[in-house]
Amino acid sequence: MNAVYILSGLGIFSLLAEIFSFRKILFPIVLLGLLATAGLLVMDWNTGTSHFSNMLTFDNYAIAFSAGIAVIAFLWFLMSRDYFENNTHVTDHFALVLFSLVGAVFMVSYSNLAMLFLGIEILSISLYIMAGSKMTDLFSNEASFKYFLMGSFATGFLLFGIALVYGVTGSFDLGKINQVITAGSTEFSALLYAGVLLMMVGLAFKISAVPFHFWAPDVYEGSPTVVTAFMSTIVKIAAFAGFFRLFATCFASVSGEWVNVVQVIAVLTLVVSNITAVYQNSVKRMLAFSSIAHAGYLLITLVALNEISASAILYYVLAYAAASLAAFAVLHNVAFENENASAESFNGLSKRNPFHAFAMTVALLSLAGIPPLAGFFAKYYIFTVAFESGYVGIVLLAVVTSLIGIYYYFRIIIAMYLKAPETTTPVAVTTMHNVMLVICLLSTIILGLFPDMIIKLI
Amino acid sequence: MTLYAFYFISFLAVLSALMVVFSRNPIHSVLYLVITFFCVACHYLLLNAQFLAAVHVIVYAGAIMVLFLYVIMLLNLNKDDESQKSNLWKAGAVITSGLLLVVFVGALRGAEAESVSFASSNNTGLVKNLGRLLFNEFLLPFEIVSILLLAAMVGAVMLGKTHMKRAKEIAHEKNGRGSVASARGIGNIKELTK
Repeated sequence: MNAVYILSGLGIFSLLAEIFSFRKILFPIVLLGLLATAGLLVMDWNTGTSHFSNMLTFDNYAIAFSAGIAVIAFLWFLMSRDYFENNTHVTDHFALVLFSLVGAVFMVSYSNLAMLFLGIEILSISLYIMAGSKMTDLFSNEASFKYFLMGSFATGFLLFGIALVYGVTGSFDLGKINQVITAGSTEFSALLYAGVLLMMVGLAFKISAVPFHFWAPDVYEGSPTVVTAFMSTIVKIAAFAGFFRLFATCFASVSGEWVNVVQVIAVLTLVVSNITAVYQNSVKRMLAFSSIAHAGYLLITLVALNEISASAILYYVLAYAAASLAAFAVLHNVAFENENASAESFNGLSKRNPFHAFAMTVALLSLAGIPPLAGFFAKYYIFTVAFESGYVGIVLLAVVTSLIGIYYYFRIIIAMYLKAPETTTPVAVTTMHNVMLVICLLSTIILGLFPDMIIKLI
Repeated sequence: MTLYAFYFISFLAVLSALMVVFSRNPIHSVLYLVITFFCVACHYLLLNAQFLAAVHVIVYAGAIMVLFLYVIMLLNLNKDDESQKSNLWKAGAVITSGLLLVVFVGALRGAEAESVSFASSNNTGLVKNLGRLLFNEFLLPFEIVSILLLAAMVGAVMLGKTHMKRAKEIAHEKNGRGSVASARGIGNIKELTK
């Protein structure tokens, strides 16, 4: 709960900073606050307290994901500083980001459907604005508007689902809903199933799983690169953790009714996104499709639900976020002026900035799932979960789609090392970016070498 | 008596909701939407929730509908601007929404067999009980909504501020001196987004 207080307080503080001209010290304070948030969360480990008549429950699952989100947000702030410095509304942006983090924490720690809804709304509304923060860019405006329309539509589905579930069970509380569902006979009202499916549709929009992914590539491409990095890491983690929390605990006893639907969504997500990514010219769009694909791998754990699913997801999202942030940071520097850089703009990056090329290589290899790195073990654990639950077919399919993934990731690596650069001017970078890239790379490698640190956590 | 009232109001609500979708004129759509909102407010009354009914009428029929009318007035919607979708798109939309309808009818058929009984009394929906619920059990959501509203407000101000700055710049470029007045109106949005 302290995490929520600190994050909201920081958000309000950064709004006030504009008045009292604290702008200079705002950035270090936000960084410190995020670290303090993560620290305080970890101190509550194993207590599992619930707050405010069971609205939020900080069990180990919630703590692990909230702390992860705080650390990723820390790295994200390091990455995005120069973008916001050039922006006149730095304090407003910081406030929006911090408020959206509050929403993200709610989404992973809720134990009442009202809090899930509020968390999603707080996160989304801040993001609609951030997506359009490049006011003079038409693509950014389009991204913002599209995200807003699609997001509101998805929220409608979610609310309708919540209402139907409330109609059957008479409660918003996850524990009580679960009680009613488990206690009830097998002859459950069709209303409940309709409600569960509608909630699934609403949440699948948020994690951009395939039949509901149409908004994602355009929004990711149009938004400023730093905002895209935020969307594809923190938003995705919060949305998926919320999805998993709802379906793995609350609706687990009626899993027979929804597991087939999730299976179809997972398979479609894996196949469609990986194949479409091959045909993308813009690197940002390619990364958008790759982020959709990773949602597909995560959905496998929900299909093959067992006791290590939660740890497998935590490991996967941390590995994915570290690699993804590094990739977006490099893209942000390489494509400084031109937001929609194609693979050609990476030509000969190894000569223009060897460290960046190395960082990008490690990040892409991890995303592709090449052995010593974290991405490999992340996929490995998810496949283990699926294998143990007897979903061999879906594992085979996921392996094939990973192989397709290697193709489009390697295209950039080849461009960086084997092709001649168009210009020889070195890519300008700030120390902040180098620090952030080093942290991301180290965590990718360390997570890969010592996966036990995370995997036995929850 | 209540049952007949319920059926009548529901019929009216569904009918006016359909008219919202089918009317050609956007102003008519908005006015039908007002009727729909009033019908929903009547439903609240039937459920003994007077406070919610009043709030619903004030907020939706009052504030939000006026906003809708303003937006329509500002956008100046004409029939010529309506984008025409090809027949293939229309067929696709009909099929998908028809499937959704089938799913819903299938799901809700037989739902009336089971009636969920809630402990309710004559004063369930009174302000006093609502307030007690909001400030005890639902205290956290009630307070947290302030963050949601604050975020929305900050965003609105932020987007608005940028526009004003850019409008001033355009005005400068246009006539050499900073007259904001010349950079007003919808006609300039095209220039703003350049």
